[in-house]
Amino acid sequence: MKPKVLLDKVGFWRATAVTGAALMLSIAPMTVSAVNIPTEVTDLGKDTYKKYCSPCHGEEGKGDGPLARSMLPKPRDFTRGAYKFRTTPSGSLPTDEDIYRTVSYGVPNSTMIPWDILTEEQRASVIPVLKSFSEAFEVRKPDAPVTVGLPLRPTERAIEEGKKIYEEKLECWKCHGVEGRGDGPSAAEQEDDFGFPIKPFDFTTGKFKGGNSAQDVYLRFTTGLNGTPMPSFAKELTDEQRWCLTYYVMSLVKPEGTKK
Amino acid sequence: MKQILFLIILFEFFCCNFIYSKDILTEKNYTEIEVRDGGTVIGNVKYMGVPAAVGKNLYRDWELSDASKTASEKLIFSKINNGLKNAVVSLKDITQGKKKIIPAIRPIIDQQNDCFIPHAIAIVSGTTVDILNGDEQMHNVHTRSTRNQPFNLGTTYKQRISKRFDYPEIIKVTCDLHKHAYAWIVVIEHPYFDMTDRNGYFEICDIPPGTHKFQVWHEELGNIEKEVTIHPKEITTIDFIYSQH
Repeated sequence: MKPKVLLDKVGFWRATAVTGAALMLSIAPMTVSAVNIPTEVTDLGKDTYKKYCSPCHGEEGKGDGPLARSMLPKPRDFTRGAYKFRTTPSGSLPTDEDIYRTVSYGVPNSTMIPWDILTEEQRASVIPVLKSFSEAFEVRKPDAPVTVGLPLRPTERAIEEGKKIYEEKLECWKCHGVEGRGDGPSAAEQEDDFGFPIKPFDFTTGKFKGGNSAQDVYLRFTTGLNGTPMPSFAKELTDEQRWCLTYYVMSLVKPEGTKK
Repeated sequence: MKQILFLIILFEFFCCNFIYSKDILTEKNYTEIEVRDGGTVIGNVKYMGVPAAVGKNLYRDWELSDASKTASEKLIFSKINNGLKNAVVSLKDITQGKKKIIPAIRPIIDQQNDCFIPHAIAIVSGTTVDILNGDEQMHNVHTRSTRNQPFNLGTTYKQRISKRFDYPEIIKVTCDLHKHAYAWIVVIEHPYFDMTDRNGYFEICDIPPGTHKFQVWHEELGNIEKEVTIHPKEITTIDFIYSQH
């Protein structure tokens, strides 16, 4: 059957409708494909949390499990609803996908491992359990994720521009150090919202906590890290400046062999 | 058939929209009524403690930064009448009363010489506060709150942050680059509150007659409560006294 004949047979309107529907579906946000995140606390979620999460995060999500004492950075206290790695603006609650991402990929340089030993269903079932610990999820809703602009090319000029922002405009060196080793003058006195000491990130390690891609680094200083002294610079920088800073920060990574 | 397919398209279009729509959860415990013969309360909050003994200045001959020379504002009281500054007096458990008036001019907290000025403000819920940076250097504004959305924003010179506080809460505002600097925003659900001046005086008016519970909050000394009976069109004087803590 020729395509033209087929079109006549099915009818023009039907074809448009099907194409339209397909387009609409592709626009709808589906970052976690095929993983169904439950909205209610399930028995599976409770069991998974008790078995795998509560040894560090505590039975009631206060970050006070039996293993927490020997850890630094401390396991997250879920009662405040402060989550570090998000795609939402500063202070906002995370989306379900953000939590799923952190559970799945873990946090480098900390004791949070990537929980890929669990099935996708198990990881997703934990999310409503975590949310049930904080009253913030009852009062507020997560804001819409920030828009990530079109990336610049990582040119010499962009890195140069980023260096200017790092050293003069935002004074990132005050905490993160001039060479990005996390040894700035204000570094020693930093503490998080729960009163535990916290170290500014050492960029030379190259293990970015929220992910190693340029977009991940871009999101970290656009959204800030809730519960830590790291602020959001969404108001201060234009989209272009943020990409410049991203590339500069990524250029501070030292290859393994050249370290002291 | 055509109609059904069109309906499907429309439905999906709406689905896409609803995913991003935000609905704000509001909860009301306070109703506004007309108060005709309300009473007024004036009074004084006092701190009957001994000021901390002046120790030997070990840093006398050292060159210190300007910030470390500024006195801490956490406990200020008048030497004449022991009146306590920056205490918030409010009515507790009041469900109805005068109209909430949100100030037309937004309250301002400014960061000057690494300090927040003023040190504490009391606002009625729904008020927008402007937080400025008057220093020619980087600061950040970091709030810790659960019900109101917390935020942590970096600010450069002459930058202004406007935030609305919708829920009653006591919020600490800090700058992580200058650890000694902090301020308090006390959000109260109803308009019956006042912050004491530098001699510890306060005044609350148009209170519906009856017995009410008054509460005083101070960042260092905590809370005290007292029950007071308000008579119509009369001025009642009360004193709150913090003993040595």
